[in-house]
Amino acid sequence: MFVSDFRKEFYEVVQSQRVLLFVASDVDALCACKILQALFQCDHVQYTLVPVSGWQELETAFLEHKEQFHYFILINCGANVDLLDILQPDEDTIFFVCDTHRPVNVINVYNDTQVLFVLCPQTLCTFYCHRPKLTSSNREIVEQTMRRRQRREWEARRRDILFDYEQYEYHGTSSAMVMFELAWMLSKDLNDMLWWAIVGLTDQWVQDKITQMKYVTDVGVLQRHVSRHNHRNEDEENTLSVDCTRISFEYDLRLVLYQHWSLHDSLCNTSYTAARFKLWSVHGQKRLQEFLADMGLPLKQVKQKFQAMDISLKENLREMIEESANKFGMKDMRVQTFSIHFGFKHKFLASDVVFATMSLMESPEKDGSGTDHFIQALDSLSRSNLDKLYHGLELAKKQLRATQQTIASCLCTNLVISQGPFLYCSLMEGTPDVMLFSRPASLSLLSKHLLKSFVCSTKNRRCKLLPLVMAAPLSVEHGTVTVVGIPPETDMSVLGRGKAAESTSSRMLHNHFDLSVIELKAEDRSKFLDALISLLS
Amino acid sequence: MDAAEVEFLAEKELVTIIPNFSLDKIYLIGGDLGPFNPGLPVEVPLWLAINLKQRQKCRLLPPEWMDIEKLEKMRDHERKEETFTPMPSPYYMELTKLLLNHASDNIPKADEIRTLVKDMWDTRIAKLRVSADSFVRQQEAHAKLDNLTLMEINTSGTFLTQALNHMYKLRTNLQPLESTQSQDF
Repeated sequence: MFVSDFRKEFYEVVQSQRVLLFVASDVDALCACKILQALFQCDHVQYTLVPVSGWQELETAFLEHKEQFHYFILINCGANVDLLDILQPDEDTIFFVCDTHRPVNVINVYNDTQVLFVLCPQTLCTFYCHRPKLTSSNREIVEQTMRRRQRREWEARRRDILFDYEQYEYHGTSSAMVMFELAWMLSKDLNDMLWWAIVGLTDQWVQDKITQMKYVTDVGVLQRHVSRHNHRNEDEENTLSVDCTRISFEYDLRLVLYQHWSLHDSLCNTSYTAARFKLWSVHGQKRLQEFLADMGLPLKQVKQKFQAMDISLKENLREMIEESANKFGMKDMRVQTFSIHFGFKHKFLASDVVFATMSLMESPEKDGSGTDHFIQALDSLSRSNLDKLYHGLELAKKQLRATQQTIASCLCTNLVISQGPFLYCSLMEGTPDVMLFSRPASLSLLSKHLLKSFVCSTKNRRCKLLPLVMAAPLSVEHGTVTVVGIPPETDMSVLGRGKAAESTSSRMLHNHFDLSVIELKAEDRSKFLDALISLLS
Repeated sequence: MDAAEVEFLAEKELVTIIPNFSLDKIYLIGGDLGPFNPGLPVEVPLWLAINLKQRQKCRLLPPEWMDIEKLEKMRDHERKEETFTPMPSPYYMELTKLLLNHASDNIPKADEIRTLVKDMWDTRIAKLRVSADSFVRQQEAHAKLDNLTLMEINTSGTFLTQALNHMYKLRTNLQPLESTQSQDF
């Protein structure tokens, strides 16, 4: 069931109880969790936070805690499968689900009492249209046969509609934005919470989970809030203290981390520019140098840290880069985004924070329990833990460099092979930095960038329409690999469930909340691929 | 006394807030508080004001003396005079620190206020040091200090009294022969 009034039906119910928060491991969920935690602290609500990265962890944690709690809040997990079937809860347990995964599982929606969805109201309309209508009729014998036939037709139509509905996976409005709406309804929204909502939305855009149109619409929504909170900066009479956070709207360059890195490094490691320039080839490197020369930027300046660049060069940098980029065929060099400012020194763009937090969460270092990374990433979002954020920025730089190097090596050694209805690439165990790509988000990002670069590198028109399946080793002891499916650039839909795996009875684990990521035993890879080929062709 | 104890005493000072919730009058041992109506200003002790602000249940209003012109006048007056001038509140330093740390978005021109108050504090502590120095040099028996706040006394007080004790011990140990001769039976 969908919650229509966030305040009465969700927050006030939860306010007087002890709740358990299950939070998935992505940046959007972290931001939503931060906002909710701040609200809970204002009202002294007792809560327990359990980070989960997959269905198995969710189930174990649920079994541990189900005696003590009646109210559970799930953030970015649980919408797309039948919750009650998997978790087997008691009669009086209630689940509040705030999830961006669509399509929402039909059984979850029609459960009136136990599963409540805390979602943006726009999603309601598109869903209800799908429900097929059952026509009523009289109880006469002649009519009975008609009814039976109608019922069969209705069932066939229902199956078709459900198949279409569940075939493709996509994402809805960011959970962090939904939580911010809740805070706004309670009049407890602060600039800090607004920033977390912005980071959540930017995470969806960075990982290509939403279309450009939806991103722009949501940016517009957030911009209204930003001007509401931050209009006092222009007023000379009552300027705010320098320590207060200020958020401003920017139409800034798309280059990743460029203000915390050198311009040259940022140009080489942003997938947009690396793919368009074809930087894995010598010809591409020359084009990059032509580009810099066209703008009149000396190479020495460009390779220096951005903050140390000459002020005269930095003044019109954005417009210069946009103009030159247009000449080289890159039309979307600038993107609408937000930046935060506090103290004299600290300025961050939303995408910087997204990459830093993502790298903190998915860093391959094994220290302590698995939740340490989650807690570190969660902490780095607060203003008082800037050293963690800077550490995250360094890790992000390493990750981006490794991504580009892997892409370059894959393209140069022709590891991307066409298997008919899709493209396939597999990372071998000996590849440098391969452990950085064992987690799903990093692997998805790598695969998306690889697909874009591959499309730019070949002259084959057909490749633009093909999806990519990417495999990377997950754990050497168990001999498992993670497999990710990425849609082609032009189409937002994703491969549905891995029915292929079930049909070949390969040992696979559908552990992640994203249905396009599965774990597989290494030996079963070829069987899985064969089945996938036959399914898609 | 600890600086934290002085801050604790300072938290009893009354400040004005504008709450966004409603609550009837509450009767505490230290006094009555309230009633709270959204949008209407009410006077509460500082400890409650800070707690409510952190829970986003109120908006703080700066005290009357926390104004740029008034503070500038006070600072200039303090710099001109040789002795200590009266301060706007017996706990001005603690109030400034707490209000500017937790509610700087409700106080206009917070940075300048912080600088002005720090200037006043520095001037007064310098005067205190000069007077303590002359007190010790001339071995005076008592000194009169008007208009000192508890925080300033606390900052220099412990060290000064302990140092004087030490000096007394050292001084008495210098004259052992004379003292034994002057004993009466």
